[in-house]
Amino acid sequence: MSLAEPAALPVATSAAPRLEVIRRFTTRFKASLPAYLLLLPSLVFLALFTYGAMGRVVLDALYQRATPKAPVRFVGLDNVSAVLADPAFTGAVVNNLIYAVGTAVPSIGLALLFALALARTNAVSSALRAALFLPVLIPMVAASALFMFIFLPNVGLLDFYIGRLLPVLPNWLGDPDVALYAIMVITIWKNAGYYMLFFLAGLQAVPEDVMEAAHLDGAGPYRRFRHIILPELKPTFLFVIVIATLNAVTQVDHVFVMTQGGPSNSTNLVLFYIYQQAVEHYDVGKASAATLLTLAALMGLTALSFRTMANREGGP
Amino acid sequence: MLFSRRLMLGLAMAGSLASALAFPALAGEGPTEIDLFFPVPVDGKLARDMGTLIKEFNETHPDIKATAVYTGSYDDTLIKTRAAIKAGKPPSAVIMSANFLLDMQIENELTNLDALIKADGTTKEQFLGQFFPALQGNAVINRSVYGVPFHNSTPLLYINADKAKEAGLDPNKPPQTWAELTDWAKKLTKRDGDKVTQWGIAIPCAYDYCGWMMETLTMSNGGRYYNEEFGGEIYYDTPSMLGALTWWNDLIYKHKVHTPGATPGPAVSTSFISGNAAMMMLSTGSLTYVRDNAKFAYKVAFIPRNVRNAVPIGGASLIVPAGLEADKQKAAWTLIKWMTSPEKSGWWSRATGYFAPNMAAYKTPEMVDFLNKNPDAKTAVEQLDVAKPWFATYKTVPVRKTLEDEVMLVLNGKKQPKEALVAAQKAADETLKPYNAETSLKLP
Repeated sequence: MSLAEPAALPVATSAAPRLEVIRRFTTRFKASLPAYLLLLPSLVFLALFTYGAMGRVVLDALYQRATPKAPVRFVGLDNVSAVLADPAFTGAVVNNLIYAVGTAVPSIGLALLFALALARTNAVSSALRAALFLPVLIPMVAASALFMFIFLPNVGLLDFYIGRLLPVLPNWLGDPDVALYAIMVITIWKNAGYYMLFFLAGLQAVPEDVMEAAHLDGAGPYRRFRHIILPELKPTFLFVIVIATLNAVTQVDHVFVMTQGGPSNSTNLVLFYIYQQAVEHYDVGKASAATLLTLAALMGLTALSFRTMANREGGP
Repeated sequence: MLFSRRLMLGLAMAGSLASALAFPALAGEGPTEIDLFFPVPVDGKLARDMGTLIKEFNETHPDIKATAVYTGSYDDTLIKTRAAIKAGKPPSAVIMSANFLLDMQIENELTNLDALIKADGTTKEQFLGQFFPALQGNAVINRSVYGVPFHNSTPLLYINADKAKEAGLDPNKPPQTWAELTDWAKKLTKRDGDKVTQWGIAIPCAYDYCGWMMETLTMSNGGRYYNEEFGGEIYYDTPSMLGALTWWNDLIYKHKVHTPGATPGPAVSTSFISGNAAMMMLSTGSLTYVRDNAKFAYKVAFIPRNVRNAVPIGGASLIVPAGLEADKQKAAWTLIKWMTSPEKSGWWSRATGYFAPNMAAYKTPEMVDFLNKNPDAKTAVEQLDVAKPWFATYKTVPVRKTLEDEVMLVLNGKKQPKEALVAAQKAADETLKPYNAETSLKLP
């Protein structure tokens, strides 16, 4: 009893502001309730299929079993260090870096070239645009099946034509030194037309009057390109680079179809490594840890690029 | 984890409620519904044949309603089966690559079929006695039956008979030893300066096929490849395998009769069909494809030996996943027995090119007739006398891959056979370590 009396005092004094906070919160909540209700369906699905899955990956990455029949136990970051110590993972990261740079740079370069060449709309350029965009419409798996035939050693389309010029040809998909580059060719072929669309859109945004002014001032095509078009296309560049990098990590259908990461792991990319750990090694812990590492790297990269982009657009 | 599991349970309940409302008939008494997961490892026509087979089963078994679910390649089928087991909804029967059974049994994912065999009033010996002895090794684990052989294969030597005659060789006396094969390959290789216009022989090497071919060459060189009795041992760094890999390497770099690098199976068969390779080693599963596409006379023969005639089997068995209700298990067992009966087994063999595991299938009149018309289908069956089980260990696929990666380096001239096999052995032992820790090295 004696204890309750002094306790009553602080409650009494603090009750008013706390109530105030709650009241303010509830009124605000009431006001935005319809908005939350409208968001609810997407929130439910996001929670189920995106955040739920991500949460599960984080949890799975922390557990491992020591022997086949042993129960899973909490191992902290052991899975992450096991992945980092795995030469197959580091090999896949190196391959993926080569693959990312080796596909992003040429496909973006080609895309820009195509866009500049086909910026003016007329019957010929429309037809050419459609032709260049065609590979985008072919599903990656179908494209891989096509290229498997093109790359067939000795009897494939490629060897049939080049074979007349060169006596000895590489085994395109069977030689560890060549296979990754053969795979990269497909990605470039498939993505250049897609990125071209972004550059075409970007070119539309280059102000006509600035170009005209430059023209009148006697700036040649190179100077107009270097000092007007390129700076104007910067946001497009950043966006396309982000997309190209994401594609380099997430679009590995052709690896599944054509090489299965081989020969001798030479075309093993990070996503395929994760698949191997989860499916072939049946090691969910390690697969989840590798997923987390990849996710962290991708999110970091994306955040960085978009911040740079925001700075550019918001800056003077 | 708890959160998502509860969520899943809720979803599953909602789902089953919805389906019960939508299909009230299913909720009540009716035929037992079972799913059969089946892969198509060779070509698309198999899926249609499977549909025909299951339709006939359902018509003759009104109390069971089986549905065939296409699940991709052998590897995909393993993935999907495991995912279904994890989700608590295992399929009732699966056509599973024969060398995945041991790994699944170690992971407690298979139903021991002994009790079902016993319930039929037959003994294990009687039941297994229906099948070719070579197929039993991959179906029996620790003296219990876990799988029923469904369609099987062995590797064969395919010879372009026209080219052989052209080179002065008699296709009716195919090479029987590695020495003879090397000689044939040399005579069948045509050169135009530095350029080879026709290769003597092609042997496939891509993941899965490469391990199988290495087992083929190692076995015909007297080796075993793996411990048939225990899933924790693999024999890569051995004289028999060293001889096998060295010979393969010599065919490329010493005799120059085999194209350098790793060539996947489809590239090998295309090369043979187009006349670019005069001989090839490939599965019996490709026989139908060759028969339908070769525009020249061809011959099939046993895989030549160096020490002895021996080849591994390939193909798939029917399994029943663990964790099924009793009625589904029983229905699945009825389906499995029906599918592996001599008549159906023979029908499937003729439709696909695999051989029928049930020996009695070859006594059916349809089969006798078929073999008279297609004597080349006989070779695979005759070779079964010297066939042995397909390698199966704890984590079969990663263990196999350690060897395949190294073999690919050798075939590309980047490593010598000995150092490659030492590296493969080391990597494989590392993968097998956890299993050994709990079996062979778990001491009192």
